[in-house]
Amino acid sequence: MKHWMWAALKNGLQDSMAYRSEFLIKIFVDAAVPAIVQIILWYAIFDLGHQNTVAGYTYAQMMSYTLMTVLFTQVRGGDHDFELAEMIRTGELSPYLLKPLNVVDFIYIRGVAHRLFVSVICLCIGIGISVFTELSPLRLIGGMMLALLGNLIHYQIGAALASVSFSWEEGYALLMVKNRITMFLSGELIPLFLIPESYAWIWKSLPFYLYVFGPSQYALGNWSHHEFIIQFSIGIGWLIITSMLTRYTWRTGIRHYQGLGG
Amino acid sequence: MRKYLHCLKVIFKNNWTREVIYRSNFLSMIIIEIIRLGVTLSIFEIIYSHVDQVAGWTKAQTYFFTGFLFTNNAIFTTLFSRNFWNFSYLVNRGDLDSLLIKPVHPLFLALLSKVNITMLLNAIFGFWIMKTYAEASGFIGGWRWLEVIGWLIFGSVLQTLLRFFFSVWVFWTERSNSISRLYFKLYELASKPDSFYPSTLRFTITLIIPLALISAVPTRALLFGLTLTEQIQMGLVLLALMYIDKKLWNKGLQRYQSASS
Repeated sequence: MKHWMWAALKNGLQDSMAYRSEFLIKIFVDAAVPAIVQIILWYAIFDLGHQNTVAGYTYAQMMSYTLMTVLFTQVRGGDHDFELAEMIRTGELSPYLLKPLNVVDFIYIRGVAHRLFVSVICLCIGIGISVFTELSPLRLIGGMMLALLGNLIHYQIGAALASVSFSWEEGYALLMVKNRITMFLSGELIPLFLIPESYAWIWKSLPFYLYVFGPSQYALGNWSHHEFIIQFSIGIGWLIITSMLTRYTWRTGIRHYQGLGG
Repeated sequence: MRKYLHCLKVIFKNNWTREVIYRSNFLSMIIIEIIRLGVTLSIFEIIYSHVDQVAGWTKAQTYFFTGFLFTNNAIFTTLFSRNFWNFSYLVNRGDLDSLLIKPVHPLFLALLSKVNITMLLNAIFGFWIMKTYAEASGFIGGWRWLEVIGWLIFGSVLQTLLRFFFSVWVFWTERSNSISRLYFKLYELASKPDSFYPSTLRFTITLIIPLALISAVPTRALLFGLTLTEQIQMGLVLLALMYIDKKLWNKGLQRYQSASS
């Protein structure tokens, strides 16, 4: 790892920890509220609606899924792609072009420090819980690795979309659209196994399910080790494709860069 | 009053001019909102493909609620959303100074100076969803559509008061990003009918952090009616929130450091 990468990682971690109360509120808010909303939905369907199963899944299974997604949702995403789009739009990208570093990688490494720190906390919580439950710590570690791979893929897609800002000032709109779709198709809002089979091809043919749904399925024991290896390999494939896409879009996009305001 | 109406006319005129110049920005904002609506409706569509009712709410009733929520949100976004994003800068950078010396209430300008007129198109989408599912959800329509407008005004006022409650803390904190983030995450609790919630949480989001009063309770009022006690409670919550916001604003102003001076 190059020296600037370590420096960026350290700098990013210090930056996210500078306002500790903000940091803690952010973690709590991101983790607790979406989980509460989902738990309420299951309560309304199963408890108030007197349902025993939904799509073959029991109340307990839905709750386990929801609670497990809390751990992996914290690792998903990040707003570094928005930062890239904003840098292009405002011309702040200019000084970075003079430095001996890859700006796309630099922004990611600086921004991912927070997620790495949170992923360690989430993993510790998960392993702590596994002591009292049937959860396997090894599966949790595997799930977290897949979630981190998902984070990388997510950023590469975001960076490729952010390059649209080279030619369209409102490029961030694409990132917002991507985030909305990701939230839905990552399995964060609803388990993807609830989507009727006739529409399942939609989420299966996109990488978003590897962010939350995939890690949760493996950690809960719903995926075999063999299935996990296949899915991890698919993730690597997606990473290669999206990285190439990012390199291409930035190489062509930068030709249109005007550096206005920079 | 005439002074305020005149101000409002100028604000709308100026903002409209800006929107006409930056057309693609507003077009993209509309697309984003429509996708948000699409995601919400898709979730309900998936759930209702497995069950007939959720906590006594049919698919049509839930869609009617979603239409109301979307319309309400569009009204709020049109009038206030951008101003609330800007609110912390007003305080942190000392930009509030220029509003404090103007001959209108500073909050009037702080909360209404930037409007997104184009976002009203989303209100039409929301209304269209309500209209589509009105009959199937048991809403009798006719003159009661006027009642819908009344509840939309109530919901928007309440949402503004609640958003202000979460924004005003910027006078005490260095950054308010997390508190705003907290509001948006909590707002997700407003995105489901209140009947879905267990009694304790339902009590909390009705009377303590009254997120349910933005859309859930008004929709319930339109579809099923409210008891007199509930109506009184809603009025009291609105008044209490107004009082608390006013107190916090005054206290905040005393702490304001006028960074630009």
